[in-house]
Amino acid sequence: MTLLRLPSSAAPTPARTRIRTRRRRAGRRPRILIAVTALFFALLYLPIAVVTLFSFNARKSLTVFDGFSLRWYRAFLQDDVLISSLGTSLRISLVAMAGSVVLGVALALGLVRCRTRLGSLAGLIMLVPLITPEIVTGVASMLLFKGLGVTLSTGTVMLSEITFSISYVTVILRSRVAALNPEVEEAAMDLGATRWQALRLVTLPALLPAVLAGAVLVFALVFDDFVLAYFTTGVDPQPLSVRIYSAIRFGVQPTINAVGTLMLAGSIALIALALFIPRLFGRRGGLDILSGE
Amino acid sequence: MTLLRGPFRTRRRAPGAAGTRMWTWFMLPGTLWMTGFLIASLLLVAVLAVGTTDELGNPRFGFDLGSVRALADPAYTEVLARSLGYALLTCVICLLIAYPVAYTIALYGGRYKHAMIAAIVVPFFANYLVRMYGWSVVLSDDGPLLRALRSLGLADGGTKILNTGFGVVAGLVYGFVVFMIIPLYAALERLDVSLIEAGRDLYGGPVRTFFFVTLPATRQGATAGLVLVFLPAMGDFVSAQLMGGPDQIMIGNLIQDKFFQGQNWPLGSALTMLLMLVLLLGMLGYLRRTRKDEAEARR
Repeated sequence: MTLLRLPSSAAPTPARTRIRTRRRRAGRRPRILIAVTALFFALLYLPIAVVTLFSFNARKSLTVFDGFSLRWYRAFLQDDVLISSLGTSLRISLVAMAGSVVLGVALALGLVRCRTRLGSLAGLIMLVPLITPEIVTGVASMLLFKGLGVTLSTGTVMLSEITFSISYVTVILRSRVAALNPEVEEAAMDLGATRWQALRLVTLPALLPAVLAGAVLVFALVFDDFVLAYFTTGVDPQPLSVRIYSAIRFGVQPTINAVGTLMLAGSIALIALALFIPRLFGRRGGLDILSGE
Repeated sequence: MTLLRGPFRTRRRAPGAAGTRMWTWFMLPGTLWMTGFLIASLLLVAVLAVGTTDELGNPRFGFDLGSVRALADPAYTEVLARSLGYALLTCVICLLIAYPVAYTIALYGGRYKHAMIAAIVVPFFANYLVRMYGWSVVLSDDGPLLRALRSLGLADGGTKILNTGFGVVAGLVYGFVVFMIIPLYAALERLDVSLIEAGRDLYGGPVRTFFFVTLPATRQGATAGLVLVFLPAMGDFVSAQLMGGPDQIMIGNLIQDKFFQGQNWPLGSALTMLLMLVLLLGMLGYLRRTRKDEAEARR
């Protein structure tokens, strides 16, 4: 805004006034743009608001709100199939988080520090899951398991989710690893630390905020993932998102509003947490997805 | 002298050769995992696309171009053309929506910039299915959107959004518009505001300034956004299922059908390869574009 202000000592010659009005017009907030943005935010949150509102509806309707009630939440808690699916989803997310964080952090360290031809090839392979649509990864994973004669189960979902999540962890960690000063590690080694000790006592603690953020984000993404789980899950037990998919394909089920509200609330909280973890550690900036990486 | 030099030398050399070897070992597990599970499985899709089925419908490996030839069937080319049309239309609409939003936030957001972008990004990474389900309720015949339009006199009782092509595109836009906003916002954030000022000082109107100054300066963000929206939109099958009818199916729905209901895996694999081919062509076009841009920027 300071850019738009003219020095106040400027003499108000006719030419000056003209420039000044022009500048002031440029600095004013255009109402149309503000209106479009407000409309965008309204439409962005409307579906979420609708699902939340009708999850508290006393009636089985998605158009008329008829009083506050918790009956759909109660129905969810009494639904053994949905509750066991919730447990399955949580197990899958935990395993995928652990596996992909270990593999992804190691990969990020290797990619940044190993400047060989093998390193650039690994960097290319790492990008494949990010540019392949989920339906393709889903089909491919399913064919691989079937081709190897593996029965689809919760375990196959876990394996595929790890494959898909490694890249996220690596992308988040890579810029952080690159920003580290390798001389600090070398200093530790000059002071007598072995490579492993330097890694464990110096490098990993410096990466901790990014690792935690990546872990939380992957947990939320895997918990919410539907396409990959849909193609690689067995018949029973199924992850929660696959159950939701079957339910919403076949008409109105208010229980799904309650489950959906809980899932939205849970993942919004987790993703917001992932965004702000680096700030909790006293670092500005947050995750790189905000800067368009 | 030699006593002192010995240990120092090995210390100094260690970060070089031994370090590289160690970092290679760090890289291997993740890379091998992805090669084994992803690259191998993608190759398997390619192999199965030229496979056959036995009498029971089980897939058999072999070399048979039947499934590939079947793709030329008008029933499939029509779906492919429709998917392309929907995905491209989605890209254009996303650009038209995302540009003013990203522009407003980047230039007028002030200290709430980061909060506003977070408020867009966070729900977009939350459960895709639940969001799409909520959107389908919003767009339904008795939903809040059509009711509001009716009360404004902009729609009558017969106006429908669900079960039309427009509904499917609306679903895709809602699903993926964030992928357009993020790169555009990043580009507009970097934009030097004094360029716009300069455009105005040179007596360019707001429209001319936009087309000759702002838009060219943010074109890279826009092309990145177009690719990021096109990729998932082309492969989506949830939107067509929830917002469209049988006449609006996309290639993702066909693939899903061949693997679940239809049980024709070679044909499903061939369709998947076709989808990958279209996306690969799109990516190549994008890479050529960015390379040209970079060459121009260097000049």
